[in-house]
Amino acid sequence: MSTTRDYERGPYAREQDLYPAEPDVYPEGSDVYPDSGAYPDDALKTWGDEGELAADHQPRRRWSKCVDEWMDGRIKFGGTGVKRKTAALLLLGAWGFLPLFFMLPSLFTFNTNTIGGSVDDTLGTGAMVNLFMCLLITPVVTLTGQRWFIPLRRWYGIMFACCGIGDALGAAFFDDFAGNPFAKLVEHTFTLIGFLMVLLAIPLFITSNNWAQRKLGRYWKRLQRLTYVIWGLLFFHLATLEGFGFQRGSDGSGFAGDGDAIFHQRLYQYCACSLFLLTVRLPPVKRWIVARQQEGRNRIVFIAVMPIFALFVFGFIFIVNELIFKGTHSFVENPSSE
Amino acid sequence: MNESYAERGYATGGKKSTRAGGVIITTLALLSTFLVIWGLYYATGTGERHKVALAAAGCEPNLLSVNVGCTTVWMLERRYTSITTPAVQQLNTDVAAYTAKERHSLAAAEAALRAEVASASAFDTSLAQFPFPPVVAPMARALIQAIHSRIKLTAEQARSSSLAQLRSFNDRVKAAGAAIQTEMKLVHKALYTRPTVNQEP
Repeated sequence: MSTTRDYERGPYAREQDLYPAEPDVYPEGSDVYPDSGAYPDDALKTWGDEGELAADHQPRRRWSKCVDEWMDGRIKFGGTGVKRKTAALLLLGAWGFLPLFFMLPSLFTFNTNTIGGSVDDTLGTGAMVNLFMCLLITPVVTLTGQRWFIPLRRWYGIMFACCGIGDALGAAFFDDFAGNPFAKLVEHTFTLIGFLMVLLAIPLFITSNNWAQRKLGRYWKRLQRLTYVIWGLLFFHLATLEGFGFQRGSDGSGFAGDGDAIFHQRLYQYCACSLFLLTVRLPPVKRWIVARQQEGRNRIVFIAVMPIFALFVFGFIFIVNELIFKGTHSFVENPSSE
Repeated sequence: MNESYAERGYATGGKKSTRAGGVIITTLALLSTFLVIWGLYYATGTGERHKVALAAAGCEPNLLSVNVGCTTVWMLERRYTSITTPAVQQLNTDVAAYTAKERHSLAAAEAALRAEVASASAFDTSLAQFPFPPVVAPMARALIQAIHSRIKLTAEQARSSSLAQLRSFNDRVKAAGAAIQTEMKLVHKALYTRPTVNQEP
């Protein structure tokens, strides 16, 4: 099986070919995959991929493979069979649509009061959630060795772009800033940075399909690295939005009226989540993780990573809380005044 | 011999190459542990901070808000402003359109007045649905009444048969507008002032 042939055939079309049941070919402890082309470089990449999947090339541990194989099995569902993986991906991926779902009633009724009042909170926070979910896939692959959830990376990436573009459109046409739609997007530092993020997300969104991936070849992977730039810009977007994380009275998103400004500060939430996402991507850390896994000392890896992941969860809970709180207000078309 | 040397060398090299990663992950794990423990400890004081924040913000416990259990003065004033600001802007636009036409075109001036009536009615409805606190409610009712009077007057003005008759309403409409402004100032002041203890429901 040649790399070229696999590539041309469409990397996502036949995933079972990408992960063949060949336990003897990749024995435990093996350092590298045989150069068979069974795992073409680009075939494993999806939207939002960072192109740093060296750790994905670690030997696939037996239990990880078992989970992947189990996920390929079918479950009986109303007289027909559905792949466990498909069902799990649908269940996990549906949450990515939640921010847009919250805005649907106001879009159908064209309620400009709700769109203008809460699109930035609902879709902006939704974009942040989806970006973090998209960025979370690679570290989880690195740590667990499982691959069945890799398609979620593309889905969350697409949902991130939809939320971001929706946020920008809402801010441009319905926000109460002065000026024309373009002026509204560039007149403040944080809106300008947000606008730049959306501009960068557009090519990623457009090329988030197999056809574009085949056409762009190796450039596709480079293009997808813009996700990192967006991730970095999000820091500056939130920093300038939040007064660099310092709450001044009721000025800043930390003021939710409940006295817990620290937990509501989105810049802090960003930092708490990004620490895990960044740490597991650092090449020395990845090498350390792979080395421990090869030694069969996964427990050490999990113990070391657990506090950083706990911090991620800690920050992420408050982002999701914000999304659900503001989102439900948007859904009933009574935008939150907080 | 060579093999064991190679194995030893590989092992040493491997350790060296992963040592930096180990240091980084250990340091960050310790930092994260500290932050998570501090965060959990800080979270235990949430209830107390909540009470303090509500007291400081001037809580109206009878008005529901999912996040804080009640609507604070700050939230109420933002909501009030989100209704009044666009409504006043629209009314000013309608009045400006009428002023521009009151001497030239009866039809255009009457159209501007009808638009003003529609805007004022929408404003009136929004205010009637606004959850004013009991302390502010009487002033809000007076404001709604003032807006209602002006709507009636403007509607009557819009039915004029000549430009002269149309303009004859101007002084009365202006006086009705001044009454609205006075009531709005009173509501604004009352809404932005924290109620005293015996005013709490």
